Amino acid sequence: MNNAPGKENTPLAQAPTLSVGPSPHMVSRDLSTRRMMADVIIALLPVIVVSFYIFRWFAIYHLLLAVITCVSVEALSMRLLRRPPTIQDGSAVVTGLIFALSLPGTAPWYVNLIGAAAGIFLGKVVFGGLGQNIFNPAMVGRAFVMIAFPAAMGASGYVSQSTGVDILTSATPLTALKQMGQGTSLMHLLMGDTNGSLGETSALACLVGGFYLCARGTASWRIPAGVLLAVTIISSAAYLIHPTPHWTPLHHLSAGALLLGAFFIATDPVTSPVTRKGRWTFGIGIGTLVMLIRYLSGYPEGVMFSVLLMNSAAPLVDRLTVPLPLGGSPGKRKP
Amino acid sequence: MTDDATPLERFLRGIIPENPVYRQLLGLCPTLAVTNNMKAAMTMSGAVLFVLLGANLVVSLIRGLLKPHLRILVFTLTIATFVTIADRFLAAFMYPMSKELGPYVPLIIVNCIIICRCEVCASRQSPAVAIADASGQSLGFALALASIATVREILGSGTWWGIRILPAGWDNWVIMVLPAGAFLTMGLLLGIANWLGTIRSETKGY
Amino acid sequence: MKLRYISEAWLVLLLATGFALALAAVDLAWKTRIEENKRRETIGQIPHLVPGAVRGQKEFVGKVYVYRAFDSAGRQVGWVLPAVGQGFADRIELLIDLDSEAEYITGLYVLEQKETPGLGANIIAAQWRKQFTGKPATLPLHVSQAAIGENEIQAVTGATISSESVVSIVNEAVAGFRRALEGWER
Repeated sequence: MNNAPGKENTPLAQAPTLSVGPSPHMVSRDLSTRRMMADVIIALLPVIVVSFYIFRWFAIYHLLLAVITCVSVEALSMRLLRRPPTIQDGSAVVTGLIFALSLPGTAPWYVNLIGAAAGIFLGKVVFGGLGQNIFNPAMVGRAFVMIAFPAAMGASGYVSQSTGVDILTSATPLTALKQMGQGTSLMHLLMGDTNGSLGETSALACLVGGFYLCARGTASWRIPAGVLLAVTIISSAAYLIHPTPHWTPLHHLSAGALLLGAFFIATDPVTSPVTRKGRWTFGIGIGTLVMLIRYLSGYPEGVMFSVLLMNSAAPLVDRLTVPLPLGGSPGKRKP
Repeated sequence: MTDDATPLERFLRGIIPENPVYRQLLGLCPTLAVTNNMKAAMTMSGAVLFVLLGANLVVSLIRGLLKPHLRILVFTLTIATFVTIADRFLAAFMYPMSKELGPYVPLIIVNCIIICRCEVCASRQSPAVAIADASGQSLGFALALASIATVREILGSGTWWGIRILPAGWDNWVIMVLPAGAFLTMGLLLGIANWLGTIRSETKGY
Repeated sequence: MKLRYISEAWLVLLLATGFALALAAVDLAWKTRIEENKRRETIGQIPHLVPGAVRGQKEFVGKVYVYRAFDSAGRQVGWVLPAVGQGFADRIELLIDLDSEAEYITGLYVLEQKETPGLGANIIAAQWRKQFTGKPATLPLHVSQAAIGENEIQAVTGATISSESVVSIVNEAVAGFRRALEGWER
């Protein structure tokens, strides 16, 4: 709503203009898409640093490849569609970073290239560009390669014996739990010296970056809060019924892509609801689905599928949680 | 409503300008379901050609006797007969392919290309025109299936018509063999077809 | 009124009769061929599955139907046991081959499956099926990651559920057949 100042005295002549545009919606003047994306990149720095420390050149190589691919695919498709260029808003860079951070370190180059391109093209461009897309582009790209190359992206894709990086020789914590019933110490999960997707291993790094994002107001704190709440409740209930000392609710919270997903992926302003209640619902929905997938499916982890499923529900959630205007529902107001 | 197109015009029209898949968006069920390799796609096209020719010919021959409210019943009866013949033929002479196509051969009965051609063309035109129309539409359908199957088989299996054409190091895109790949390929090719159409009409000074 | 129905529907009735006759003729002409195709698919596998076998013969052992495999001299060299069960996506139909005493599995063939291409569908790969050859029919088999024990089968990469389905279909069919065989021989 754009109410021009100084025109209040002529209400009929100068009716307020209602301009409707696609997300991300800015509530503050100094908040632009570009600044938001810069914030996300700053918040990702701890994750990237830990990733580089643990996976060495695999991290740098995948991050660079994915970012370059995303930016060039976006630039190229905007040219082909004869639309104004959009790469300067930085959203393609963020998509590339998040996509790369969700890959196994040993993923072959073409998996990264195809996934990044599919994410931008199928996840964003075909819907009409930033703000029009239903699904998180990075997760669309990851889902594409996950189905296209199950061997490279499945549990076995994470493990490689001959890379020179020791951590890559062991199974990821969630796979070790699912297939062999082995636990991993909380300290390892917190610091990140375990195998896993490039950006998911360190719970601490995700929390530091996530708190920065929420404190800056770039990400809504309600979404990660909803995710963590649902995971805590469900895993605690399961723990009380059937205690597993090697895998407590705290393990569930800090393992896998949960924190990375809750703070960086689910909070994408384009594909998440805009109302307060809607954001809580969205977060709780993701947390519940993650736990369902972890407990009941053949997959060890389910953050990607949960985010995509809830993305598709986001418009519905928004519709169901429209806040009441001040003074009550317009339909019930007396004349 | 009179359409005086010659048989040749009708034949050519079905191939590109009124392509059943890319222009009319008809018969999408087999288009999506059996295009993960060329052989299956072409067998399906052959079965559709046979059924469409048979149904169009019979309907065109009896067009003077059709009662308006019974015509759909007659069309369905005719189509179902030819489909059953095609299905039995595949089971008798191409057994492995018949197993691969599974329910999609009997499902030709509800393929809207065929009932559409019976209604639009065969029930109003002479047998010669109806046959030309059936051949053109079937060829258009076969081309559409071939285009999708080519993309899916090459990317998804590294082969074309069962012949290995990509190097052994190629990592198959499993998604292309799965239904998701059918929807993606179909959508992207449809987009390209429309895009080419726009460019053509622009360059013509439309 | 009723006459009008007939006068309007005569074409439909006539066409239906004509088409029915045509279909009956088609069925008559190709029926044996189609039956033969189905039969050949099962029996045709027997010489590949059981070493030394040249032909198979369908038989009932108790209530279980199996194929006896014979060599060229007419001696029985093994059993071929058809088995069906639920896989990850759809039904899986198998042929399990046993030696003539039904103590060892001598091979496995997948007749029908609709598992995920590229993952579960790899159960048809000879490389994977080969693991069953030589496994004891007296013990239930298990799926494991390493496949060290004599009754352990290594899962297809990324397709634990499909692998487990095949193993449980095999276990159930083999155990059922061995029970039937004991009762039958006595």
